[in-house]
Formats: sequence, C-alpha cells, structure tokens
Amino acid sequence: MTKVADNVNPHIYEKESEREITLEEHDENVVDEFDEREIFDLIRNINDPEHPLTLEELRVVEEKNISVDNKENVVHVNFTPTIPHCSMATLIGLSIRVQLLRALPSRFKVTVEVSEGTHVSEHAVNKQLADKERVAAALENNNLVQIINQCVAM
Amino acid sequence: MESIWFKCELACEIIQNPSIFDKTQNVILDIVSGRLDITKLVENMADVLTHKEVENREKGMRFFTKILTELPKHYLTDLQIKFISKFYIDRLKDNHRVIPAVLEGYLAIIDMQNYSIQNSGEFLTTLFREVPCQSQVRQDRYHIYLIILKLLERDVEYMKSLGPDFVYGVLSSIEGERDPRNLLFLFNILPNFLKEVPLGHLTEEMFDVISCYYPIDFHPSPNDPAAVTRDDLAAALTPCLCAVPEFAEHCLVLLVEKLDSSLKQAKIDSLKLLSESCKTFKAESYGPFLKTLWASIHREITHKTDNELKMVAHEALSALVRKLATTSNKDQEFENFVKGVLISMQTALAGSTTVSQFIDAKKILLTTANASKESCIIITNSMIPAIVAYYGFKTSNKLQIASLEFLGDLYDLAKHWNVLNELEAQVNEIPQLCLVAVSQPSKEYQIAGFRTLIRVRDILKVDLVLPFVEVLIYIIQHSQDIDLLKISVETIHAIARYHPEMIMDLVVKGKCDLENLIADKTNLEKRLNLLSNLASIDDFTKIIIEEMLKIISINDHTAPKIVEALNDSISDSNLFTNEKITQIESDHGLVDSVLNWLLSEIQRGSEDSFNHGFMLIANTISSLSPEKEELILSRHTSSLLDLCKSNETFFLILQSLYISIHQNVNDVRFEEIMKLSLTLSLNSKNDTIRLKASILIAHFLNKADYGQKFELLYDLLKDYLSSCSGDDMSLCPRLIQLYGWITKALVMRSSDQFLFWLQKILVAITNQEFTQHGADAVRLIMTEFPEYLNTRQHCRISPFYKQRMFQSFSKLTANIGPLSPDVKETYLLSWAYIIEKTPKSVLNNEVHQVSLLVIDALGYDNKDLLVVMLDVLCHYIQSKHTTIVQSLQTILPRLVKLSTYVKSMDVRIKSLQCLYEIAKAYQTVFLLPYKQDVLLDLAPSLDDKKRLVRNMAVQARTRWYLVGAPGESKEN
Repeated sequence: MTKVADNVNPHIYEKESEREITLEEHDENVVDEFDEREIFDLIRNINDPEHPLTLEELRVVEEKNISVDNKENVVHVNFTPTIPHCSMATLIGLSIRVQLLRALPSRFKVTVEVSEGTHVSEHAVNKQLADKERVAAALENNNLVQIINQCVAM
Repeated sequence: MESIWFKCELACEIIQNPSIFDKTQNVILDIVSGRLDITKLVENMADVLTHKEVENREKGMRFFTKILTELPKHYLTDLQIKFISKFYIDRLKDNHRVIPAVLEGYLAIIDMQNYSIQNSGEFLTTLFREVPCQSQVRQDRYHIYLIILKLLERDVEYMKSLGPDFVYGVLSSIEGERDPRNLLFLFNILPNFLKEVPLGHLTEEMFDVISCYYPIDFHPSPNDPAAVTRDDLAAALTPCLCAVPEFAEHCLVLLVEKLDSSLKQAKIDSLKLLSESCKTFKAESYGPFLKTLWASIHREITHKTDNELKMVAHEALSALVRKLATTSNKDQEFENFVKGVLISMQTALAGSTTVSQFIDAKKILLTTANASKESCIIITNSMIPAIVAYYGFKTSNKLQIASLEFLGDLYDLAKHWNVLNELEAQVNEIPQLCLVAVSQPSKEYQIAGFRTLIRVRDILKVDLVLPFVEVLIYIIQHSQDIDLLKISVETIHAIARYHPEMIMDLVVKGKCDLENLIADKTNLEKRLNLLSNLASIDDFTKIIIEEMLKIISINDHTAPKIVEALNDSISDSNLFTNEKITQIESDHGLVDSVLNWLLSEIQRGSEDSFNHGFMLIANTISSLSPEKEELILSRHTSSLLDLCKSNETFFLILQSLYISIHQNVNDVRFEEIMKLSLTLSLNSKNDTIRLKASILIAHFLNKADYGQKFELLYDLLKDYLSSCSGDDMSLCPRLIQLYGWITKALVMRSSDQFLFWLQKILVAITNQEFTQHGADAVRLIMTEFPEYLNTRQHCRISPFYKQRMFQSFSKLTANIGPLSPDVKETYLLSWAYIIEKTPKSVLNNEVHQVSLLVIDALGYDNKDLLVVMLDVLCHYIQSKHTTIVQSLQTILPRLVKLSTYVKSMDVRIKSLQCLYEIAKAYQTVFLLPYKQDVLLDLAPSLDDKKRLVRNMAVQARTRWYLVGAPGESKEN
C-alpha cells in the first residue's frame, strides 16, 4: 500500500441497534411517513473508503444531522468528516448522494453538506456536492463509480 | 509339450516375445506345484539377466520382478530370499533403465514372510550410494519412500542400529521433492520416522529439509480430477515441523518469523503450527520467544475484520497457556506471560468505547482463563474486582450491562476449574453488584442483573435474599414487561431452590400470602403465575397445590384464573416432570378436583375459562402411567356418557379425558365413544363440539394398534359414513373437514389408507361448490397444532409425513384435466399449503414441477397463495436453480406487478425480496438485458406507503444498480 489513510486511528463509536418494528408498521392501513431515522438507516451502513468501518461507527453521519420534510419534499443531510483536513470528504459526500439518489423517491430534493465548521475546505466541498453537472460527470468516471459502488454495497 | 520356462530358451523368448509376460501366472502355478524350481527358472533366465544390451536386461528384470510380485508371500525360504536380495542389490548398480524394475521387485521381496531385516542394511547403503532419488521419475521416488516406510514398519530397532548413515540417506532422498502426491505421502510418514529414529547431529539438516516447504504455497492444476489441495499439504506438514522436541528452537524461530508475514495464509499456518507444537515441545523451549509470540498473537487476535484469523489465534493462545501452565510451580515464565495478557487486555477494556471492543477483550481473557486452572486463578483473581470497579465508573449503559455478563462468565470459569474456594472474597462481590443493577429502574439493567444472579446463585448469601425478594416481588406485582416478568419468576425459582425456608416465609406466606390470595384482586394473575411455578419445587408443592385446589373446589370466581396459571406451569415440562405430576395427582387428586369444577362450571361459565380446564386435564392425564389413566377413566366415563345424552356440551369433558391417553390403554367403551364422536362431528350444531369430536376420532385412529383394535374402529368409521346419505348437501363441508382429520391421523402414522381419503378431498377441490372446503382440509392436514396430534399426547408421528403428502398429492394430481379458473385458484392454493410445509430438500429435487406451479400462481390475485409461492421462489433463487433463470422473461414482469400489490404488504415485500435475490444470485449476462427496465419499475416502490416495503425496495433497487457495474463483487 502506497497511500496511508489520512486518519490512521479513528475513534470508533457504538452502532445503534436496528430500528424496532412497531405494530403500526405491520398495519396495512397506516401510512408510514419518511422520517429522519429512515434516511439515517439508508446511509448508516455506507462503508468508509479508508477503513473497514461504516459511516455510523465513525460518526460521520448521525441521525440528529438529518432533516426531512415530507410535505415540501426536502431531505437535508449534514455529515462530519473525522478530521478537518480529510481528503475523502468529497468522496464520502458523493457516496451519500449516490445512495440517496438510488434509494429515495424522485420527489425529494436532496442536499448533502459538510456540517458547519468541521472541515477546512467546507465551502469547496459543499459547492462540488451541490453542483449537479459535476456530480453527473463524476459518475461517468469508471474508477470513481467503482469506489462508490464498493462503499454503498452493503 | 513342456512349457518354455522349463528350458533355457526362456531367455530368448523374453527378449523376443512380449506376450510371455502374460503367462507368468502359469509359471507361478508350476513353481508352487513343485514342478519347477525357482533356481532352475533363474538359470533359464540367466542369459537375459546378464545380457549386454541394457534394453534386454531391463526386460529380464521386469519379468523376474513380475514373478516375484505374483508369487505367494510365504513360498520362498529364508535362504532363497537372501540370494535373490543379494542379486537385486547388485542390480542397483546397473543402468538407470533397469532401476525401476529393481525397486519394484525389492518391494515385493520385503513383503515376503521369510524376509530377514538383515538384508536391508546392505540394500539401503547401496541404494543411497548408487541411486540419486530425486533423479528418478515420480513413481520410482514413491517406491523408494515406500521401501523405507515398509522397512521401518518391519523392524524399527534394526533401522535405528543403522545409525546416522541411514538418517542421512533418507534425508538426501527426500531433499528437493516437489511432487504434491509424494510430498503428502512423505509428510504422513515423517512424523513417525522422526519420533522413532534418533537424528543425532543431523537434526538441523533434517529440519531445514522439511521447513523449506513452510508455509505451503501451492495451487493444484485445475484439470486434476483428484487434486491434492493446499490445505491437505499444510495440515500434513504441521506435525512434521514439530514432531520431536529437538526441533523446538528451529521451529519457533521460523514460526515467529512467519507470524510477521504479510500473507494471511502464512499467519494462519503459523498459528496452527503453534497450537500443534504445544503437544510435543517442552514448555521451557517457549521461554525466549514468549514476548514476541504474545505480540504477534495479540495483533491477530484483535484483528478487526478477519474472523478466521481470530479463531486460530484464540486456539493458539489457549494451547500455549495450557502448555506453559504445566511448569507454573517451578518457573516464573508462565505467570509473567499470563500477567502480560492480563495487563494488555485490561488496558483494552478500559479504553473500549463500544461493546464489540469490550467483548473482543473479554473473549481473550476468557480463552486464557479457560486454558488451565492456574491461569484461571490469576485471571479471575484480578478481573472480578477490576470489573466490579469498572461497573462503578458509570461508563455507558451497554458497557455496564456487558460487564455484568462478563462477571457471570468469569464465575462460570472459576466454577468449572473448581477454584471458587480460593476466590471467595472476590466472587462474593458479584451478588452485591447484581443487587445494585436490579435496583435500577431500567429494564435492561434488571434483566442483566437477574441473569448474572441466576448464574451465581450458589453463592448468594442469606442476608441478600431479602432485598432481592423485595425487588422481585415489586417487579412481579407492577411490571408489564413479559421478558422481565419471566426472568423474575425464574430468579425466585432459582433462589427458592437454595433458600426454601426464606422464600416460604417471605413469598408464600408473606408477599403472596395464600390465605389472602383471593382477597387482594390486583395483580392476582401475576402472583398466581409465580406460585404455580414455585409449586414445582418439592418444598412448596404441598402447601401451594392444596390451597389452589381448595379455592377451585369452593368454586370461587377466581377459580378460572387459578386453573389457567396451573395449566401454564404444568404444561412446561422443564418445570414439572412426569413423576412430579403423577405425584401431585396421587397426593392431591388434581384431575378429580378440576373435573368437578368443570361439571358445575360448564353450565354457566364462558368458553375461555373452561378451555384451560380441559387443557389442564389433558396435560395431567398425558403424564400419568397407563394404569393410572385406566383408573381415572373407569371412574368417570359412565357418568359422563350419561350426561352427554342430555347435553352434548359434556362431551368436551369426555374428550379432554380421552385425548391424551397412552396408546396401550384398554377401555371397553372405546366403541361407544367413537360412535358418539362420529355423530357429533357431523350433526352437532356447535362448531367447537364438531371440531373436538373430529379431533378425538383422529386421535383414536392414530393411536390404535394395527390389528383387531384398529380394524374395529376403522370399520365403525366406514360403516357410519356410508350410512350417511350423500344427498344432504349441507353435510358436505362437515364431511370434508372430517376427511381432513382422518387423512391427517392416518398419514401421520404412515398408514397407506390415507390415500383413499385424500382422493375424496381432491374430488372436493375440483368441485366448484366445495373447492374452498377441500383446500381448507389440505391446510389442516399440513399444519402442526401445538395442542393436537403431538408426541406429548402419545400420538404416532412419522417424520416423513409431510414429504409423503407432497409425493402422494403430486401423484394424484398428475392426471388431472384442465380446470376452470375458479377451481384452478383454490387448486393452486391447496398446492401452496402443501409446498409451504414440505422440507426444502424435497422441493429441491422437484424444481421443474414446482416452479411451473409457482410461476402459474404468480398470476393470481390471492394473498395466501402468493405469499407461499413467493417464498418458494425466493428459496429456489437463493439456491441458484437454473430453471428460474430460463423463465426470467415471465417471472420479472409478474414480480414487478406484485411489487405494487395493494391488498398485502407481505406480498409486496416478498416480491421485492425475490427481485433482490435474483440480482444477487444469477450471472450478470442473464440479468443485464432487464437491468434498465427493472430499475425504472422499482422506482414507485421506493415511495410505498409502508416503511418495511420501502426498505426492501431500497435493497432490491440498489442491488440492481450494481448489476454489471464496476465495483460489483460477484464471482462471474
């Protein structure tokens, strides 16, 4: 291995237990709305590009940093890189975006951003992630798609 | 004419005529019968054996060798063998073309009965000097090894006397061997050789020759039909490397070096070698390496992702500790090593932020403690106080709960090694800590605390019983949580076994006072539950059961609840054994009391309340001996039969008495009861009575011994049914239900007569009017009921009856004609009921037939049908049957359509799961044409109104995105 990970020894956090399935969820007649936990469940198991750990275990994504508005069809995800100069931040953000693109109904407008003040080049990363054309271009790149697919394959 | 081998022309014949080789059997016959002397034969061959052309000498030797191999093993004498052996030894010096025949011939000579081991010395010397083993072909090398093995087996002592020359000869023969089959053979014989023959100054050379193969890196040729695998070689090599204690130093140096390799396989092999080496090496040999060994084991054992590596590291650690423990009383090494483990693991425990980290460290400590008594003392001695203190640090909830469990594990180990006496002060802390935990309001703490308490119940001191009981009774009175209630009752039970008097005072006569049992109405059920559980302990049985039966007999309005609680506990065979129930019955007359209560209650009570009574009677009866059962039956049957005449409800009591009797109980009234049941099963207006009557008939048919008893019942049944007129259409559904029970009873005892009744059910299925009833009957046959037709009720259950149903049903339906659409649906539904319960292994053999049904069924709008069929489909996809992949064009659109099936979310989830499994199981080539369509079709399910459906849709869609995309991890 030539490249050494940015953060060699990250702090590992406890995984949350699986969402408990309530009686309402088994009831045919009740409509389950999208909530923060559901979005969190979609992205918590994405693998970190550098470690054999999930974004949840590294607390890159947290339930409290996600907001959903069902009526307005808006999903907002903030993620926190483990260290401020993490070079993988864009890649992680892209993985989250791709996963949500594939897993959420198209009616939602999804925004993925770095949590405020957690990364040195926060604005640059946010701008890249918000730019549809750059995201689309990135997904044309086979090497990049391969890494992202490996990250989101759970 | 005399055969050619009697003349000296034999030599020419061997040179010129290859067919002479086929006649060796005749030569042998002549030798054995005494017509031809072996010396004469050799003389006749003289010209060819000493011919100046190598080619001809080889032919001669081959002929001679063939004769020797086919000759009876006992025929040649000592002296003859000696001369032949001399000759063969001499031939070793001949041209290389002759050598193969010589080696093969000598193998035959060694096998002879009169072969003297003295001959072998000279042979080996010449062999090692004249024949460079590794220049021979594979087969000949194998023969050389085989000769060495056979000689060793024949006389080890003589071989030892050959000294270092022999060892050197063997060593130089095997050095450089590279054929996997020969190596496998060598590795198998070497450990024995090394153990028997002293190596002397050649130890290091020998080790070098063996160790050059380590770690094995070998890939068999893909065309080899019976390939030797890497694992075979590695497993065989390991014992060679540590065969003798003298290898210890060399082996450990090598092992430590390979542990640091970057190859996973090298690490695994080294760890396995370490475990294996502990069987032969002396404990002292490990001394200089312990630090490095622990460093390497520590690194692998805490590996984040590789479980295989973790496992072998645990095994190596355990073996090493066990070995070192043998010197614990004379050496400090052992203690230092264990303390080293202890310190690094304590650091890991203290630094762990997640439960999985905590558990990893815990497992290492438990492995170390489990390895030997001495290590167990060291570990438990310091870890129990440490964990008790750790609990006090108020880390996270999950860690505190994990530490409680850890204490239980440590206690179990200390108990296993029988060292509790030396640890008394430490372990006594545990119950105290459990009390702290259960005093928390959180359910998780309480459950963990009780679990650990149950494990350490032996050491619970008297002064702690009272506080525990206070907490427990409070929980039992007030908690609504089922898990917590269950563990609380279990805990009181555990305490009661050790401190019966205290529980008697505190619980039975105190908190749950029997005298005031019914006075206090609140939480009555929970207290009854506790008491009936405690009644299984001998000290409590009398007082509790007596009191309960007293309340039942005065028919207080709480009686139904008491019956219910008693039934719940008695049906748990872990609590109440058959002997215990028999004892209760004979001491307290349980059945009589309940029966009397039922007789008065049945007139006015509700069905719920006396159903428990029926079950209690049936459960009690099933635990008694046949004689006791007969006694009870004879007491009650006549009067109950009389009562039935006036009011059919009393049949239910009768049914509960008879339903779980033993197979060999004899009763003259069987016939009468059978008749009554038949009448009721068809004519009663009450659904329950009809059902229970049918069930009783099924039980009788299932249990009756073949022969007179069975014939009698079966004839009765047939006569009665043929007497029923076929015109009464309203009777048909009831008849079909009865057929279902009869079929079930017969097929379960694997009687062929069931086919007759199944045929009748099939007729019903194909009839438009009764098709649903027919399908219901099939479901009834395939369903297992917890309360009917089971072993507890002494029924006969053939293990293959479901499989039998499947096969019979496919045979019966094989010739069925085209069905109308209405009937077709229920017909498939009946199939679904059968397929649902048929073992998967049977379905795997019938993929073609079943998959046709499945694909057909996916087009129908019937929830029950779809759920079962999708389940089977899913199973077939998971086991990658090719039949499915050929029909993808039909299956995929149907699955996509079902993924928005409005009536049932289960169908939606299952169909999405099938789509997911398809993407996972089959080769990309088959899937790629459908990829874009499926992705589009799956989009609506992402916005399904049910979350569970959405979750599955996400899985399926994200998986289909990966089909054929870069980064997909699939083999093809």
